[in-house]
Amino acid sequence: MKESILLAYKKRPRAWILNLAIFIFIVVIFGASTPYIPYKGIQEKSINIAYSIIYGITQPDFSYFFDFSKGALPYLLLETIAIAFLGTLIGAVFALPFAFLSARNVVPKWMAHVGTFFIAVIRTFPAFVYGLMFIRVTGPGPFTGVLTLAVSGIGMTAKLFTESIEDLDMGIIEGLDASGCTTIQKIRYGIIPQLMSNFLSTTIYRFEINVKNASILGLVGAGGIGYPILAAMGAYRWKDAGTLLFGLIVVILVIDYFSGRLRKKLATGQ
Amino acid sequence: MVAWFKEVIFPSPLELANGKIVKPKRSPMVYVLPIIFVLILISMEITGFDFMVLVNRGYQFFVIIGRMIPPDLGFIPKVIQPMIETIMMSIVGTLVGAFFALPLAFLSSDNIIKNKVFLWVNRFVFSIFRTLPILIIALLAKYVFGLGSFAGTVAIALFTWLIMTKMLYELIETVDMGPFEAVESSGAGRLKAFWVSILPQILGQFISFILYNFEMNVRSASILGYVGAGGIGLLLNEKLGWRQYDKVSTILLTLLVTVYLIETLSRAIRKKLS
Amino acid sequence: MIEFKNVVKTYPGNVKALQGVSCQIQQGEFVAIIGLSGAGKSTFIRCINQMHTITSGEIIVNDENVTALKGNDLRHFRRKIGMVFQSFNLVKRTTVIKNVLTARVADMSLWKSLLGLYTKEDKILALTALDNVGILDKAYLRADTLSGGQAQRVALARCLAQKPDIILADEPVASLDPLTSQQVMEDFVKINKEFNITVVANMHHVDIAQKYAQRIIGIKAGKIVFDGPSQSLTNDDLTNIYGRSLQHDEIKGLE
Repeated sequence: MKESILLAYKKRPRAWILNLAIFIFIVVIFGASTPYIPYKGIQEKSINIAYSIIYGITQPDFSYFFDFSKGALPYLLLETIAIAFLGTLIGAVFALPFAFLSARNVVPKWMAHVGTFFIAVIRTFPAFVYGLMFIRVTGPGPFTGVLTLAVSGIGMTAKLFTESIEDLDMGIIEGLDASGCTTIQKIRYGIIPQLMSNFLSTTIYRFEINVKNASILGLVGAGGIGYPILAAMGAYRWKDAGTLLFGLIVVILVIDYFSGRLRKKLATGQ
Repeated sequence: MVAWFKEVIFPSPLELANGKIVKPKRSPMVYVLPIIFVLILISMEITGFDFMVLVNRGYQFFVIIGRMIPPDLGFIPKVIQPMIETIMMSIVGTLVGAFFALPLAFLSSDNIIKNKVFLWVNRFVFSIFRTLPILIIALLAKYVFGLGSFAGTVAIALFTWLIMTKMLYELIETVDMGPFEAVESSGAGRLKAFWVSILPQILGQFISFILYNFEMNVRSASILGYVGAGGIGLLLNEKLGWRQYDKVSTILLTLLVTVYLIETLSRAIRKKLS
Repeated sequence: MIEFKNVVKTYPGNVKALQGVSCQIQQGEFVAIIGLSGAGKSTFIRCINQMHTITSGEIIVNDENVTALKGNDLRHFRRKIGMVFQSFNLVKRTTVIKNVLTARVADMSLWKSLLGLYTKEDKILALTALDNVGILDKAYLRADTLSGGQAQRVALARCLAQKPDIILADEPVASLDPLTSQQVMEDFVKINKEFNITVVANMHHVDIAQKYAQRIIGIKAGKIVFDGPSQSLTNDDLTNIYGRSLQHDEIKGLE
């Protein structure tokens, strides 16, 4: 065999060392974590439960869908959607001032930093913390859910709004300025059209998320379908829980689909 | 005023200088705004929106905030243990979820799997599971595996598995298929071809996804404790229940700092990868 | 030996890519396929290793009926046929030697290929292949640092690492400048002579085909209209194959 080939073989980089190191590192992290996660073992009961849950979800009791009374499935789903709807709207409205106060092309730099920091603080609180706080204010029920979603939504909504504002094409506004528009006209014809579709898209996106959040808030007692699901599971009524979950899944799928199409239309087209 | 409304709802045709007549389209807002207004009213009715309650009791919210400041810093040592547990749950859950996401993504990519029926069914079934919020998954996990962080870890693993699969197959579908074709033409099966030609192309992004999901999961893991699935959420719930708001804010502060550190570290690693 | 017996390939939408093609290519020949774009050159080549399936007729390669192969048999069959592409098709982010080694995974067990456990023989084979095309020194560099000509040679080395009987080349030098094209074609010729590997190459550029291939097959509208030694190719033949005089992008411009 040629000398040069043997030489090249001997000079080969030993990549396996690095790979082994990474592998060991991951194993160590795993190993260090497992004491914190005690495995209680799968009892036979658990398999039954898992089976019942899946059975409940895949064989929903469709009669529930046609009970139009106040505590029943369709109403709960409607309530969940209504909570998300109002919460998103209110959150968006309140997010606006925060957004403008954090935009570097609108306010001085120091103020933008303050605004961003404030938004970051609001975002740290998990939604359910707001939920539990608001329950002290307005008691359990869907109204609390609305307020919770509104306040917890401000964070993400404001952040996305700010990004839209900072992406503004100032050239258009300069153009309007050059043709002698007043500030109000500049805002109305220059700024608002650009921002409108972005804000709308962000709001719809947040609505999607809030529908899921609204169902979770029910777990802390802030209305919507969450609490009935929790109650059904607590009473081991898996079929009921499964049916409720089924309804929730359908609602989320439908809303995700339409919101996706709407946002696509906003971005390209309309 | 009335004239303005009339013009918006029934826009009058314009005549151009060359005689052409143009009928402006009615703005969609004419339909959309009233509908939204009605929806708002309906929603207010359903949710029992009561403005007066807010006015009368709204100050309570700020009372609570007041009691959160200053946080009880002496409580920090008690927070560390659950915080570590939360982080560990996220690490294991994210890694396990990511590990299993790769094969599922392989089976869900339209440039690898040519059987359209299989692909459609696969994507449909999993998009249904993807709608479940992580807390609900955690709830289910709690009933199967009992209280504690194991259930939480399982929930995180399942949730990450679902999310990552989608992120991965969307990534795989953007990849350069040339090398894949080349290795296939040399007689290797699709799995081997994927492994040596596509995986190297997506590895950087894959790691980026893992870090991103890890970040998100640490935030969620703090919530999971609420349903008894371990971690810091349990402590949070407890302190909220006892109205010990100064301790609540300690917990939140620790969470804030932890998340910030992880985010910074993650951003640095991601930057180094690209 | 590669044998086409009255091969017909019709794409959906009634597009007739090959209309009754018959020919024989012996082991060790260097054949260039020329013709207009869309005349059927690419289809012809890709039917040999079943990258495209044929509608009717037979393709026999080394006593195996290509059309009937599937699954494991097909994969086994393909190991003996290497393929070089116009766009090189290297994995950009990995090293040259890793690219060449991908030719070995078809023969390895699943676990070993997933873990990248190539044997010493594999690595020596890959290095030898690189040496055969003259770029041993680039073995441990990343593939995206290479020039076009170097990349194509790595692709050729990748084929060599399969220890093939046949190498199919789909417009291998179309993306390269004239000087580099000639260097790469010389490598093809060298491999063809030294290892007696049959080379069947699609060529967009007629002058390259004439200079380096011993035999030329001209395809027009799915039919073979010329099949003979490259020296015997006349201008009339070319007009027949292309239906017009050659355009300037069909001549590479040899130096």
